[in-house]
Amino acid sequence: MSALCSASTLLCLILTLDAQTTNEPNTTDIFNTTGDTNITYNFTESYTTVEPTQSPGAPEEPSLPTEPLPESGRLPIADSPVGRLCPCDTHRDVCDINCCCDPECISQEVSLFTSCSVLTVSSSTRLCSRDVALYTLRNAADGRSELQTSVSVETDYDLLCIRSQNRHDSFSHPAPVTPTDRNFEGLFEQFTSFVFGSDEAELVSLTELQTSSGYQYGDVVLTAAQGEHRGVMLLPASGLTAQCVDSPAAFLVDQHSLCSQHVILDRDCTSSPALSMDTFTDIQLLSGRNAGAAVVPVTVDSVTLQSVSGTQTELRAGSGGTLTPAVMRPGLCANVVLKVFYVMEYSSTGDIVNATVSVLLGFIQKTSLLLQQEFHITYVQEDGGELAIHFSGNPGYVSGLPLESATRTAQGLSRSVGHFLSVFHSEAHQDCLQGPHQRSLVLFGLNSQSGCTLRLTDTFNCSLLSELLLSVLRGSDPAQYVALFGNSLLDNPTDWLQIKRVSRGEAAGCSVPLSLHLEIEWTKYGALSNPQAQIVSIKEIIQTNSSSLVSLTGTRNRPHIVLPTFNAVRSLPGPFERRQRRPAHQQLCGIHTSIRPCSPRLQSHAYHQRQAAL
Amino acid sequence: MAFYEVFSHPALVRYRTGVCSKATLFLLVVLCLTYISPLLVAYRSQGFWIKRSTYEEQPVVRFQYETLLVAATGTRGDFVAWSTFPHLNNMLGSNLRIPAVSVREEDQNQDGKLDLLKFQLQLPLKAEEQVYSIQLLLTFNYQLFRMSTVVMQSLAFVQHSSPVPGAKLLISGDLRLQQRTPLPHRGLYNIYNVSVVDGSSPFASSYDLDTIISNYYNRNLTTVLSCPMPVWTVGRAAGSPFELNAEIHYPVEVISYRPGFWETIKFAWIQYVSVLLIFLWVFERIQKFVFQNQILPTVPVLAGKPHLS
Repeated sequence: MSALCSASTLLCLILTLDAQTTNEPNTTDIFNTTGDTNITYNFTESYTTVEPTQSPGAPEEPSLPTEPLPESGRLPIADSPVGRLCPCDTHRDVCDINCCCDPECISQEVSLFTSCSVLTVSSSTRLCSRDVALYTLRNAADGRSELQTSVSVETDYDLLCIRSQNRHDSFSHPAPVTPTDRNFEGLFEQFTSFVFGSDEAELVSLTELQTSSGYQYGDVVLTAAQGEHRGVMLLPASGLTAQCVDSPAAFLVDQHSLCSQHVILDRDCTSSPALSMDTFTDIQLLSGRNAGAAVVPVTVDSVTLQSVSGTQTELRAGSGGTLTPAVMRPGLCANVVLKVFYVMEYSSTGDIVNATVSVLLGFIQKTSLLLQQEFHITYVQEDGGELAIHFSGNPGYVSGLPLESATRTAQGLSRSVGHFLSVFHSEAHQDCLQGPHQRSLVLFGLNSQSGCTLRLTDTFNCSLLSELLLSVLRGSDPAQYVALFGNSLLDNPTDWLQIKRVSRGEAAGCSVPLSLHLEIEWTKYGALSNPQAQIVSIKEIIQTNSSSLVSLTGTRNRPHIVLPTFNAVRSLPGPFERRQRRPAHQQLCGIHTSIRPCSPRLQSHAYHQRQAAL
Repeated sequence: MAFYEVFSHPALVRYRTGVCSKATLFLLVVLCLTYISPLLVAYRSQGFWIKRSTYEEQPVVRFQYETLLVAATGTRGDFVAWSTFPHLNNMLGSNLRIPAVSVREEDQNQDGKLDLLKFQLQLPLKAEEQVYSIQLLLTFNYQLFRMSTVVMQSLAFVQHSSPVPGAKLLISGDLRLQQRTPLPHRGLYNIYNVSVVDGSSPFASSYDLDTIISNYYNRNLTTVLSCPMPVWTVGRAAGSPFELNAEIHYPVEVISYRPGFWETIKFAWIQYVSVLLIFLWVFERIQKFVFQNQILPTVPVLAGKPHLS
């Protein structure tokens, strides 16, 4: 190949030029050294790829040293003889052990070497013929080592080797750019694009004064705290973990956060601010962001006390001052904050005009626990009356939003409590007869299931049990109507669909309901590009026991499992197809609540959303 | 006397016929079959229009020096955490534990692209604390240049837990690119060049790992740290910090893209012509047979021979 190369000098010249102009800043190395472990040492590393940008007409720069490297650290030039290069010479004026190329090593020291850490030092491997310095140790007759040094010319038979190179810097990294007044910013940005602590500068802007007077969406709500500094209204929320961290409240961002507070009863009951009601009620808000903003105190709307058993009683607002956490008896801490609800009223200019808070207080019994706390903040526009009714779609239902429900009264339709359809929610005790029961909302488009177990003794009143179970399944205030669309109004009775109630199963004698199955059929309605979900039928199927309950009740609560049946998708009934322009999809949403007589297994529940308890 | 072939040349025979004749019809049918059938064959045998193609490229990856660390220090929900986001650190309060971190990015093969991130973290622990689980989030700046220019910010998330308290965790893996849909073949693709974690936000919801990860995985283009074998070393000495060593390689990726117009046409043309050649040969034979044997009436004229009539 070398012969070929010499024959066609022109080709080689092109190759040489090509090799020199390749823009690979880090691939050129000054020389390679091959040690006994065949490690290639690289002496310099440079990521410099840009040349200093100086416009030709610029005024004369102050003359800075053109060679930034200090004398002692001067790099060897590219065409140094290989015999003088020594990568393992790391100790100055001292012989490095086993470094055969170290000029400081005299023959007595070399005779103690066992091997050479660097065997060969060669110039660039890209050259067709290159000098190679070889270092070998030979064992002399007396067992001592003798160093043999030789510099030879090695020929490379690669097709694309460089025959001769005449450019000075061709095998070196480009010289580092000397920082000047002009290029410093550019160099700084280039080399410090990602460093630790680049975010630190942004911390300042949290409570900076702004020019506009009111708040804007997402602004941190400020408080008039003690002294000069303005505070921030804090609303605990779960951050990295489920534990509460103090997060600022954001203007117009409705928040609902559930988080856990680590409580050690003896230490925290009276001292921890996170348990005390004052922390959440004694807040002086600033109506706006500017300096002269009015102070809006948070007023306590209601305080509810939850007993150990779970019953709630409302205390009169403003009676007897605030309730601070107190140790009632060892292992029982009273008046601990469980839930906090803020309602903030704002004006159209972005000022907070009124703020009220409702608090639920309760008891802690364990000595050490993670206490769950719940925090809500809702923003209501001034003069907007009461809290606006939340629709579940406009007009069609949006999947994931609850189904609107109503009951019939003498005056016509009225929204039921919470005005959403709900089903029984699984609880830890798994007992169907132990109340009060939690209900979870029926969400549009989500199939779900929940359940509990029923334990019967030999003596039970059948009609009473039947009534009780029906109220457990349906809830205390069962809905009778469901809205066709997410935004159906009560004034239009045609927009409401009566729940069809079906009872299945027949048993001689005592018959109790064991499962409630809600079948909600819906369709897509309207334009193809913007289909709206419409409910076309809703059926409540109550399955009663098919066998005698006497056989279900054993002597010692013998478990008897009745698996809940869960219907799959069924096709849509015909009459509605005529009303639609094109029935694109017919789907069915099934909700199933079942009661398992004495089933020891836990039943899974598909979703978890609880109604507001206050 | 022996004869031998002294010379040969092909003779051109022209077959003439009227415009409205069986031979014209036959010619039309043959032409259609010759040129349309290869198209159908190539198309029906799948892969005529290539929809997706791949190329290899090593990405330009830079560690963005944004880190988020959560370590469970007890079995009852105690934890310590640290991040490079000052707002989050302020929020963490007493759970903040600042570790010693050292980072190095290496270009091992000297090609100008970084190949390896070495991340070392030493988490000091109190006497009663033990590390049971680690969650580590690192963010990266990820760039591709060969076909379309991709600039995005991505993350690597590691989660490891053990019932036995640990002394060290070694994570050695690749930062792999995950694609849902192929990239365009050219242009700038920078819709994901936004912060994965909004470090300027003072709200706790911005640092919720649930939200961060679920938003991140909604993207078409993500990176994922593939670390099949994290090494959890147990037996931490009292007073010594928990050590977390991560070696994250930036490997060459096979990236799929949607080919452009000319690439699609080129591959379709290759397929069409290669099938067409066979059809041309076959129908050439058929035509020769039909006209030579006068199956359809035509007037053969030998070229170069003067008309006698």
